[in-house]
Formats: sequence, structure tokens, C-alpha cells
Amino acid sequence: MTPTHFSLNAAFMLGLAGLTFHRVHLLSALLCLEGMMLSLFISMALWTLKTESMSLSTAPMLLLAFSACEASAGLALLVATARTHGSDHMKNLNLLQC
Amino acid sequence: MAFYLSFLMAALVGGMIAIASNPAPYFAAFGLVVVAGVGCGILVSYGGSFLSLILFLIYLGGMLVVFAYSAALAAEPFPEAWGDRVVFWRVMVYGLVVIVAAGFLLTGDTGLLMSVDAFKEFSVIRADVSGVAMMYSSGGKMLVICAWVLLLTLFVVLEVTRGLSYGVLRAI
Repeated sequence: MTPTHFSLNAAFMLGLAGLTFHRVHLLSALLCLEGMMLSLFISMALWTLKTESMSLSTAPMLLLAFSACEASAGLALLVATARTHGSDHMKNLNLLQC
Repeated sequence: MAFYLSFLMAALVGGMIAIASNPAPYFAAFGLVVVAGVGCGILVSYGGSFLSLILFLIYLGGMLVVFAYSAALAAEPFPEAWGDRVVFWRVMVYGLVVIVAAGFLLTGDTGLLMSVDAFKEFSVIRADVSGVAMMYSSGGKMLVICAWVLLLTLFVVLEVTRGLSYGVLRAI
């Protein structure tokens, strides 16, 4: 495995590990998800540049737009949760379950 | 060039360790700024100048600013810091796992630790600029789908944060 492959795979796996294990704040989970999307963006862009297939350059652009959709929907949930429960702790979402 | 790119990739992994083990969302946002900046450097070094510009302007300039405001909204009065024992052990575990995985997985092959710079001979245009421009010709259908998804997300966000009458969550 080359250093490029290893560092991008490690970045994605670290973001995924942060998303699964670090569940105190909703904003921390969203930022780990953004880190995963960022490593996917860099991977797709480097894949385009290394294979010299220029028509694949649209793929990181579309991924960035979908990442913006995911970020805005997540932050909307964060704002609604913070206004309802007073903080963005993930434990707040379990308080009223049976 | 090889040493420079290796340093950028090590900074990328270091920034992701900071995001994954953050004590408070401020540090995660700052780690994401570091990772995005280092990612711009990696893309520029491999010849993708336009994609690096898009990452810098739209990602750093747009989305991380919104995340910084949301970190200010969701701020807690006494956040944890890097020196706390739980956060310290988390950083150590992530760093150790990455180092052990690097020892096992990294072969002697260095790959392409130099500028690829597509369209090398007999060309005065950049490959990524031409490829992104194809989004408006051959990739027009995907562009329309992408614009529709963004518009739909706008209405989803307005519905989720609408307050006082009713919404998805019981908002103020």
C-alpha cells in the first residue's frame, strides 16, 4: 500500500471511528461525518488525477454538493435539538423513550 | 517533493486523529480546518488546482464557517481539554493504531509521490478544469439532479427548524 492510499484510508477510518465511538455531542458526530466526506473528496480527486481521466472530475464536485446537503440537514437537526433540549448532547434524544 | 507530500499526508492523518478524539466541538472544527487545508495542499501538489480551489473556497469558506457558528451555538460552559485523561488516552490509542497499521500495511512502494500533472505533453489546459466543465455538457443530467437535491435539502432544513407552530422536532 502506498503512502497516499494508506493516509486517505486511515483518514476515512479515523472519521468513521470517531463517528461510532465519540457520541457525546451531536456536533462532534457531524464533524466526524464531514471528515469522512472530506477524505472521500480527496480520494476521488486524486483518483481522477492519477488515472488521467478528466471526465471523472465531476464526481468530487457532485460529492461536495451532497456533502453540503448532509451538513445542512445535520445542522438543522442540531439547531432544533438545541432549541428543544437546551444542549446538543446525544443523550438528550434518549430521555423520553419508553 | 516526496518529503513534502509525506509531511502533508502525515498532517492529514494527524488532523483526523484530532477530529476523531476531540474533547469539544471547537477542537474538531479546528482539526477539520487543518485537514481541509492540508487536503488543498495535497491536491495542488498532484496538479488538481481547480479542485483544490473549490475545496478551499466552498468547503473551508462556506461549510466550516457554518460549523463554527453551530459550535458557538452548542457551546457548553466547561468543555474538556486535551490534557484530560480520557482525551489523552483516546489520542494515544488512535495514534498507536495508525502507527501499527502503517507498519503492517505500508510496503516499500512509494507510489506516485510527485506531481502527476495530467495532460503532460502538448497541452496548455488543466485536466481537472476541463473535466469539471464537462459537468455542464455531458454531465448535465447529473447537474440537474444535484441542483434538485440541494433545493430539496433547503426545504427540509426550513421544515426542521420551523418553530412555534409545529415541526419535525418540538421547537420553540
